[in-house]
Amino acid sequence: MNWRHWLRRNDREANLERELSFHIEERVADMVRSGVSEEEARRQVRLEFGAAEQVKDECRDVRPARWAETFVQDVRYAWRNLRCNPGFTAVAIATLALGIGGLTAMFSAFDTILIRPLPYAKPDRLVMVWDGQSKTDDRTKSFPAPAEWYEWRRLNTVFTDIASTQPTDATLSGDAEPEQVPARKTTGNFCSVLGVKPLIGRAFNDQEDRDGARVAVISYGLWQRRYGGSPDVLGRKIDVNDTPYEVIGVMPREFYFLPARDIDLWMPASFPDEMRKNFGWHDEEVVARLKAGVTRGQADRSMAALSLQMTAKDFSGPHPTIVTSLREDLAGKTQTALVVLLAASAALLLIACVNLANLLMSRGLSRGREVAVRVALGAGRGRLAAQFLTESLVLSGLGAFAGLALALPAMRFLASLVPETMGPVRLTLDWRVLAFSAAAAIAAALAFGVAPALRGSRTGPQDGLREGGRGAAGARSYWFQHSLIVMETALAVALLTSAGLLLETFRHLRNTDLGVRREKLLTFETPLFRYGDFGRRDAFLSAILEKIRAIPGVINAGATSRLPLAPNETAATFYWISGQPRERIRDQVAIIRLVTRDYLPTIGARLREGRFFEVADRQSDAQVAIVNESFANRNFPGRSAIGAQFKFGRTGNKGYWYRIVGVVKEIHEVGMEEVARPVVYSLHEQGSDQLMIPPGGIAVRTAVEPAAIVSAVRQAIWSIDKNQPIWRVQTLDDIFARQLTTPTQSTALMGAFALLALLLASVGLYGVLSYAVTQRTGEIGVRMALGATSRDILLTFGRRGLALTLAGLAIGLTLSAVASRFLNALLYSFRPDLIPTITGVSLILLGVAALACLAPARRASRVDPVVALRSE
Amino acid sequence: MASSKSDLPQGTLDLLILKTVALGPVHGYAIAQRLQQISRDVVQVPGGSLYPALHRLETRKLLAAEWRQTASGRDAKFYRLTRSGRARLETETANWKRLSETVGLILGMAEGGAQ
Repeated sequence: MNWRHWLRRNDREANLERELSFHIEERVADMVRSGVSEEEARRQVRLEFGAAEQVKDECRDVRPARWAETFVQDVRYAWRNLRCNPGFTAVAIATLALGIGGLTAMFSAFDTILIRPLPYAKPDRLVMVWDGQSKTDDRTKSFPAPAEWYEWRRLNTVFTDIASTQPTDATLSGDAEPEQVPARKTTGNFCSVLGVKPLIGRAFNDQEDRDGARVAVISYGLWQRRYGGSPDVLGRKIDVNDTPYEVIGVMPREFYFLPARDIDLWMPASFPDEMRKNFGWHDEEVVARLKAGVTRGQADRSMAALSLQMTAKDFSGPHPTIVTSLREDLAGKTQTALVVLLAASAALLLIACVNLANLLMSRGLSRGREVAVRVALGAGRGRLAAQFLTESLVLSGLGAFAGLALALPAMRFLASLVPETMGPVRLTLDWRVLAFSAAAAIAAALAFGVAPALRGSRTGPQDGLREGGRGAAGARSYWFQHSLIVMETALAVALLTSAGLLLETFRHLRNTDLGVRREKLLTFETPLFRYGDFGRRDAFLSAILEKIRAIPGVINAGATSRLPLAPNETAATFYWISGQPRERIRDQVAIIRLVTRDYLPTIGARLREGRFFEVADRQSDAQVAIVNESFANRNFPGRSAIGAQFKFGRTGNKGYWYRIVGVVKEIHEVGMEEVARPVVYSLHEQGSDQLMIPPGGIAVRTAVEPAAIVSAVRQAIWSIDKNQPIWRVQTLDDIFARQLTTPTQSTALMGAFALLALLLASVGLYGVLSYAVTQRTGEIGVRMALGATSRDILLTFGRRGLALTLAGLAIGLTLSAVASRFLNALLYSFRPDLIPTITGVSLILLGVAALACLAPARRASRVDPVVALRSE
Repeated sequence: MASSKSDLPQGTLDLLILKTVALGPVHGYAIAQRLQQISRDVVQVPGGSLYPALHRLETRKLLAAEWRQTASGRDAKFYRLTRSGRARLETETANWKRLSETVGLILGMAEGGAQ
């Protein structure tokens, strides 16, 4: 089809007209010549030639691309038709816009996070390798040790290569203000495994990694920010933790990798020799590229076998590995949330379609006469069905446009669902999303258009043209419409229940007892690498904490090796309680936190028994420790933990005995997860354990708004050391809110979908009942004339509405039971009680349904028999 | 739709039109007239069948059309045979002859067999 065709179209119509009228005129002229009067001749010619319009139409039918002309005609007709029914059209478009808009927005998030290729070469061949647990059915992932990476790389048979990275702190100084940046140490093959190349310069290699070369690759962001984006940054010496490193490359802007988008610096890991044999220090993230033809499943089994063999003689028992796809690790929990929400939005669109099918069906029945006239004028059934379907397409096209307008703001909201690990991505309306939206619109048009089109086109001319005829409103069409209502009610119930469960979980998460008081608690981090010596570190910490406490509005301050709600945990250690058999040690792991004396009171920890650390502990030779409830309950069930002694690690007869002086209520050290883990708090001031992470996380309890004292805190620290970097300044409330982003968003979205579904379902119920009342006015009139009271009539319609609702509710609750299984992953291992949610949903649904039934049922009960029968 | 004194078998109308047009450029009315005259009124083609058939043949490029003046000075759409139209006419004519001979043969035989 080209434009010339359209230009020629009018021309062609005129010629057709001319050709036929020439024929008729010639024939008339011939007959007149043979002596017939002109009037009579014309009459006869009309009879023998047939209906001119029909002949024209048959001539048009043989043209190529005739369907396109028909389609355009149908679209025009549909448009006129829709404009004549603005109420119906507005409801239909709004319904579709909600459905298509919701699905489009969800798809854009889904596409961005789960479908679009990651910024690596052949990203689907990349996997992460984690340590498994000694119990093989437990798929909890933990960080491997450098020694494991080393052995895996040497012995594996399934990967082309394996790289490893570990977190590190980096303070940039020398060339400008000191700046703390997130950094990673990586093995020399990191870039080659991922298949990425620096934007400028080069990456470091295995040789440099082995030799401990002082070279670094920086991020695009850091390059722009600190070095003005100048290419002469290559070869430049920068001070990283007071050591000069040479910048040899800048990564591309879109590059990111676990664990977060904001890594600014990559340096060679250069594991010292003892690390290659030490299986105890677990802080690696290992990424590998599958060999051609090897599946993730095969790699998982092969690596698990290798690891079990490697760790057979390990003192904590052999453990397997877990091989996961890289994308899965990047998307994390968001993946499940997205799948669930995408399914919910699809369900919403389905409800919208069901609703529209019902509306169109009712409308099709009341359009019986129009259809009958067209059938009488010679329209075929296919032609009619095509016309009806075109109307649906026009509707859903308009709905899709309106939906896109709704999707845009929704996408802004959804952008916060993108997990931190995915890097700075924005959701955009690109061609993929538009194509998806168009496909959704067409699918929707078919879903809601086909049944009414087939049904509507079935009308025979005599049905509709009968005086007072109302088309084919037989029992079958009620049956069909009723099952549609039941279906949409069921879907709405499933969505409502899911939303209810999420809401329960969300409320539960919000009310989680973190074991600390989150209000007015300022936190920040300050790296202590320049205070490696205990004496200096202790003096520095005491000095800054003293200064901070002196700031007006500050109540107390303390330091810890990691602040609460940490995103993940690497510092877990084996322990052994005095009096236990030695082999118990391999089952006992605790998280350790090195804290200053005032830290626990500062964050608002609560004692279950015993005491907090005291000034006197500092001078004491005996090491003291405070443990959490899990530790106490696990090791001292039913008795007091106070006074008990334990040791860390595999120190054998060496190492200090720690004496437990206090037990605190559970503090959420790691994320929002449900599982409680044993935690040990040991006192930094006692200077005992150099292996632990130094307490660079500072918590400040304030009486005023925490934001008001931030600059005073900075000044306090800089007055002691003007080169000391301070970063990640945030309140515990901020950290908490960020942890809840995904649940907040999922709950809000699910809630919105569920409410819309409820609205649509009740509109549908209302529509069907209203329609039934209108259709049956005559029948109602007869029944009332025969003595039925208006109460009887009210009950008839009320019962029908109730029956439909109850059927929908029953099916919906069954669906919910299935859906809640998929939801589990979103519920943070929290098992909400189903009963209150189900009760609530049932009550809400019945209430709304009662309202939707009431109006039409009352209208039916008020039918005046005289009026009704007269209208018949 | 094609009715009157004799119904034409399926596809025959196209063949008759092609044959009529083969004699020289001619407009639709003249085709109808000629068919009627030559067949001595046995074949009457109503406009409702003729024009769709003409347009179909034109679409298939078996006929070409142009607007010309008639002897009486009126504008009319004249059809003429294209090269592929002529080829089609030849094959169709041959087919028709073979078919009608065969049908005749069978009918003659059947009569003989009944006796």
